[in-house]
Formats: sequence, structure tokens, C-alpha cells
Amino acid sequence: MIYSVQFLICFEFFKIGLFTFGGGLASLPFLYEIMDKYHWFNEFQLSQLIAISNLTPGPIGLNMATYCGYNILNIKGALLSSFSLILPMLVITSFVFKLYKKFFENKLSNKILYILRPTSCALILAVGVKLFYNLIINKGNIDYLGLTLLLVLFLLTFKIKKDPLIYIFISAVFGFIVYCIKSF
Amino acid sequence: MQEKTVKLFDIFKIFFKIGMVLLGGGYVILPITKKEFVEKRNWINENKLVDFYCVSQCLPGIIAINLSILIGYKLKKFFGALSAVFGLCLSPIVVIIAISKILEKITNIAFLEQIFWAVNISVIILIYLTLKEMWQKSTPDKFCLFWFLVVFVLSLFKISPVIIIISSIFAAIILYFFENKIIKKKDNNDI
Repeated sequence: MIYSVQFLICFEFFKIGLFTFGGGLASLPFLYEIMDKYHWFNEFQLSQLIAISNLTPGPIGLNMATYCGYNILNIKGALLSSFSLILPMLVITSFVFKLYKKFFENKLSNKILYILRPTSCALILAVGVKLFYNLIINKGNIDYLGLTLLLVLFLLTFKIKKDPLIYIFISAVFGFIVYCIKSF
Repeated sequence: MQEKTVKLFDIFKIFFKIGMVLLGGGYVILPITKKEFVEKRNWINENKLVDFYCVSQCLPGIIAINLSILIGYKLKKFFGALSAVFGLCLSPIVVIIAISKILEKITNIAFLEQIFWAVNISVIILIYLTLKEMWQKSTPDKFCLFWFLVVFVLSLFKISPVIIIISSIFAAIILYFFENKIIKKKDNNDI
């Protein structure tokens, strides 16, 4: 059966809203899956998307969904993707509101959370490894410029505490300098 | 009593403001909401807000949106939740659409590619930081570590994350019943 693009966008982003745990970057593995499945956007656009969703105000997961939707079907796609992302949360959270005390005391829900945390971590780690493989190792040709940047940023994590903007800003400046050197 | 004094439009307005200044996602929203709803207006007490924050981290989806739904629901039932979400999401959606439109017009692709290549490398660091924080929050034991490795290997083989998460939930349910049985057996033996 062939579904329309509109339906597929709603379906995929509804799934993301329903199955991501841990906020922000947790939806990255799903976006990689969408890319492999439908080829609506390429890896370059996905990297733009991560940078822009971090740099603009608003929840990162929502920003990524809106940006993806825009790349697929312009404004219509952006609205569809963000609304279908929000829908499952609106239903589940409103439902949980009434019984959240029981939810914390319930042993089964605690057990599910106990397993979902390492699951979510592993899914995100897999994306990190994939990015490292694509960017730095790059099919055998090790990118020493990229490796240097990565090491510098890694050393900075001991100095600066969590503020994602600083890391993005530093690497953007680095990219700009590399572009200037290459074009002259 | 509170419900009568709070207007839907007020909830929308406050969350619209929060949506405009929220940079950096889930972990920043607690101090901002605390300032707006506890310190400035005293609509919610602080313990309740912290409770809400914990719940919204445990539920599926985005932490900031879940928190806004809970606060909205507390203040004005379902329509409060609805206006909170729309308030929070309106400005990010508009901003992203505007930026995408601008990016389309930039024709110097080589320039953009170089910058986003570097930004991608910082994403590796961001992933590392996220993982460090998530790992510190959870209480890793041997089973967690085992499950972590299994999921990691599976996801390298391009197995859909949806399938992985659903099977994790099933594993939790099986583990739950299994442990209950052992406890019951122990109880029987004791008697």
C-alpha cells in the first residue's frame, strides 16, 4: 500500500513523541532511522538541523521535528510534524496528571523506567559512534583536523560545565577559519 | 479557588515568554518555571513543581513540553494544558520556519558545509555530555549494564529504535513478574 507523504510525516513524528525518553538528543536515533528509510533529507541537512535546534530557543526535540518537517514539505510539513510530535505527550501527560503519585509508587512503572534509562543511553551512544565513524574515520582516511577539534573540545569539558551553546559556537568558528584557509 | 483567578490567556502568555527565552532544552526549564509560577505569582508551590519536573522526565516525549502540560493542567484542567503547550511551542516553530527559509536562500554551500562539518564534531561532545549526565542519574547495576550493551550492539545493526524500546518494556514486565514470583516463593518457604 502507498501512503501519502503527509500521513507518513504524522505517523513517524507521532512515533517519536511516543517513544523517546530523556529529552533533547534522544530523538536523534529516530531521525537517523527516518533518513535511512525515506531519504527525505541527507546527512548534511541532519547536521544543520542539530546545530540549528540547539542555537534557537525552544525545546530541542521540538525544534528538530519542525526543521525536519520543513525540509520534507515546507511550512505544511513543519506544522504537521510538530503537532504530531506533541499529540501523544498531550494525551499521556494529561492522563498521568491525575495519578502521578501512584505512578511513582507503582513497582511495575519503576521497573520499566529502570530498564528504559540504559536503553535510551545505548541508543544515543550508537548515534555518537556512527557520527564519529562518519566524520573522523571516514572510510579509512582519518580526518586529523576533525580529530584535533574533537580532542580540544573534549579537554574543554573538564573546564566548562554543561552548556551546549559554547561547544557549538567554538566549533562553528573553527569551521569558519578552516573555510577561510582553504579558499585562499 | 485558584482555578477561578487564573485566565487561560495568562497561561498562554507566560509560556509564550518561556518559549522565547528557553535555550538549551529540558534542563533549563525548571529554574525558569520556578521563577514565573512560584516566585512571581505563587500559583503553584515549589514541592509540587519539583514533583512535576520528576514526572515529566519519566514520561515519553520532551521534558519541557511535558512539564508545561502538567502545570497547565494543574492551573486550568485540559484547556490550561492546551494553552500552555501552544504558548510554549508557538515561537520555536515560527523561528525555525523563518531560519529554514533564510538558509534556503544561501547559495554558498561549501561555506555552510565547512561550518556544519565542525558543528557535527561538537555534537559528538554533546552526546558524550548527555550520556554522562543520564548515566549519573540512573543507578547502574549488572543487569542495566548488560541491557545497555545488548541495545548498543542491536542498534549498530540498524534495528529500529521503536522495536528496541518496545522490547525493553516487555523485558521489564517479564522481569517484574519473575521477581514477584521469587519473592512469593520465599514467603511460602518462610511460612
